[in-house]
This record gives sequence, C-alpha cells and structure tokens, in this order.
Amino acid sequence: MDPVSERKRRFEQLVLPHLDAAFNLARWLTRNDHDAQDVVQEAMLRAFRFLDGLRGEAKPWLLAIVRNSCFTWLQVNRPAELAAFDDRTELHLVDESTPEAFVVRQCDRRMLNEALAALSAQFREALILRELEDLSYKEIAHITDVPIGTVMSRLARGRRLLAESLRAISNASQVHE
Amino acid sequence: MTREDAAKLLHAYVDGELDAAKNLEVEAYLAGDPAARAACERLREMSAAIRDRADYHAAPASLAARLRASVPAAPEGTRERAGWPRWLGPAAALAAVALLTWGVTLLSLQPGEDERIAREVLASHVRATLGNRLFDVASSDQHTVKPWLSARLAFSPPIAEVSAHGFELRGGRLDYVGGQSVAVLVYQRRQHMVDVFVWPTPAQKRERTSTRDGFNVESLASGGMAFWLVSDLNRNELDDLARLLAANSAAP
Repeated sequence: MDPVSERKRRFEQLVLPHLDAAFNLARWLTRNDHDAQDVVQEAMLRAFRFLDGLRGEAKPWLLAIVRNSCFTWLQVNRPAELAAFDDRTELHLVDESTPEAFVVRQCDRRMLNEALAALSAQFREALILRELEDLSYKEIAHITDVPIGTVMSRLARGRRLLAESLRAISNASQVHE
Repeated sequence: MTREDAAKLLHAYVDGELDAAKNLEVEAYLAGDPAARAACERLREMSAAIRDRADYHAAPASLAARLRASVPAAPEGTRERAGWPRWLGPAAALAAVALLTWGVTLLSLQPGEDERIAREVLASHVRATLGNRLFDVASSDQHTVKPWLSARLAFSPPIAEVSAHGFELRGGRLDYVGGQSVAVLVYQRRQHMVDVFVWPTPAQKRERTSTRDGFNVESLASGGMAFWLVSDLNRNELDDLARLLAANSAAP
C-alpha cells in the first residue's frame, strides 16, 4: 500500500473514532456549533499531518491537538475569557452548611448546562474531560498541558464553582416564578 | 491524617485516582468524620449529575463527511514539503520568483479567455448579491431547479446532491457569460452564498483558483461541463465543493 493511503487507513482506524469526543470538547470550549466545527476540522487536519507523532493512546493525543486549537481560537475570539483566569491552589472541603446538595439533586438539564457553560474554560475543560470523557488525571494533565496536581485542584475548584453557580441559577429562577 | 490532608485528597478519592495505601488512609479518616463523609457524598452526586445531565455534543454527520472528503487530498502537499531537503528552500524561492515573473508577463501580454470570464462571473455574483436577487427559481430540491433551468437553456446542468457535505442548494438563475446563456446554481454554506456557473464545454480542465476583490473564484471542467465557482467562502471549503461537483459531473 502506498504511504498516503496507509496513513489514511491509520487515521480512519485510530483517530476518526474519536471525532465525537473531539467535537464535544470543542463545542463545550467554543460554546457554539459553527465554531466548534471549524476548529475541529482544522484540528483533524493537523492530526492527520502529525500522525507519525502518535504513540500510545489516540484519544488523549487527539484531544490535546483539539484543545490547543480551541485555546488558540479562544485567544483570538474570546481573549477576555482567558485573561480572567488564575490558578489558585488551595482546596476546601465544601462547606457543610450550604444547601448545595439539594440544588445538585434538583437541578435540571438546562440549569446544569448553563452553569457548566458559565465556568472558566480551564475548569470547564477539566470537568468535561473527567466526567463526560471519563479520562484519568494523568490523561487530562497531558491534554491540558499542566501538572497532575493542577488537574486535581481545577477539578476541585470547578466542582465548587459549579455548585455555587447552580445555586445562583436556582435562586434566580425561583425569583422569576 | 488531618482534616486538611483529607480535604486535599477527597476529590482524587472520589475520582478513584488514589493508590491503594492512600485510599485506605482516606477511608480510615472518613470513618471518623461524618461531615467529610457527607462532603464526599455531595461530590459523588455532583459527578453523577454532570454525567447524567450535561449535554454530550456528538459530531454532526456533515462534519464526518466533510473530513472524509478533505483529509486524503489536503496533507499530501504538506508531507512532500516536510520531506524536502533544507537547501531546496532558497532554490525553490528563486524558482518561484522566476515562475511568477514569467506567469505575470504571460498574463499581462494575454488577458485571455479565462480572465475575461472570471471578471464576468464575479460581476454577476456581486450584482446578484447586491441586488438581493440571487435566484429566479428558489428551491432546495434539485428536481425543481433542474427542470426549470433545462426548460430555458439549450442544455441541462448537472446538479450535485451535496447537502450531506454541508452545502445546501438554495436555487438557480439564468445569466449571460462569455457570449452564451448559462445556468447559475446557488448553494449556501453557513452565511456564505456560493454561485456555481455552469455551461457545456468540450474541454477538460483542472481546477484553477484565484482571489479577486476578496472573493474566491474557482474554475474547472469535467464531464463536458465548465464550472465556475464564486464566493466569499474560504478557499478550502470552496475547493471541497469544486471537487464534489467534478466528481458528480464525471460520474456516468
């Protein structure tokens, strides 16, 4: 088989099966369908070009490329979103007195999606990769290019902020009703 | 283990990321701290809520189709370039300048048929867009557009079914280009309109692309038909459509 069709076969076998994961991540980061499609298409073409660099698992490898494309896109199109972010390291136990448990149990699909979309991109991507793609801390660290400890603290803070945001959304919708 | 230590490890514990020894330590701590156990439970609920209720955005079918269409063609050139020896860089640049000079000389000497047609189709596209009169027959159904055009022309333009690739047929119109009546098929991709001018030609021609006034113009001839595409759509996606049209027209 000639090298080009061999490469294409490898790409279709190893990389294309993860197209849904690629789109899901890009869609959550860009927050709209059109831009996610453009970003994913560009990222997939880059993945095809760099296919020789693929060692080990294809999914984290591809998602690292998609994630990079997304952040480049965010830097150009939503610079304010990235500028506001800082990685604080302290971890807290969720304060027992808050009614968050109730809010999490009661929240519906719309509220949850809204709260997730409102998080900083860095928290959002950590939660999406962990909960929707079921990736390990090590894989998430590789994809997002930070140490494992940072993944852990982003997940912790992300979950706390999500709970707070859910509570705010739930209070707001009660006021409206 | 202190409360602080446990707090640091709680997320990793819930996520099943601790090694066996640390796991036992956390469990031992939790046994004696009901508040921490409750916090742990809430984390599990949060995790379950995201898994069950957050939207999972699967890739649209059109994206997969678009990728399959564009992947084999796009990277071949880049592969070759990556394999070039380094000294070829300057040599290639020199050769390119030489070629360019030669090409420009040729072009300026001979505006040529293609140049004239490119100007005409571009003018038609701009007129139609400005006047907001893109089609004489508005329909996304090729079985409506094709007979309408065939009835008014001396030929029947091939119409490719390309909606699976993200190009929606919006309609067709008639125009006059290069001294003859031609069919114009109007496709839409996102907010971009693409005019495809079609007429019979005996020639067989490879794709040629140019950019003028911010529009991309692409021409090819295949299966006895000349196709001229004009749009403000980016070059890659316009290329995709050109390839699809050529494939459709070349098919028996």
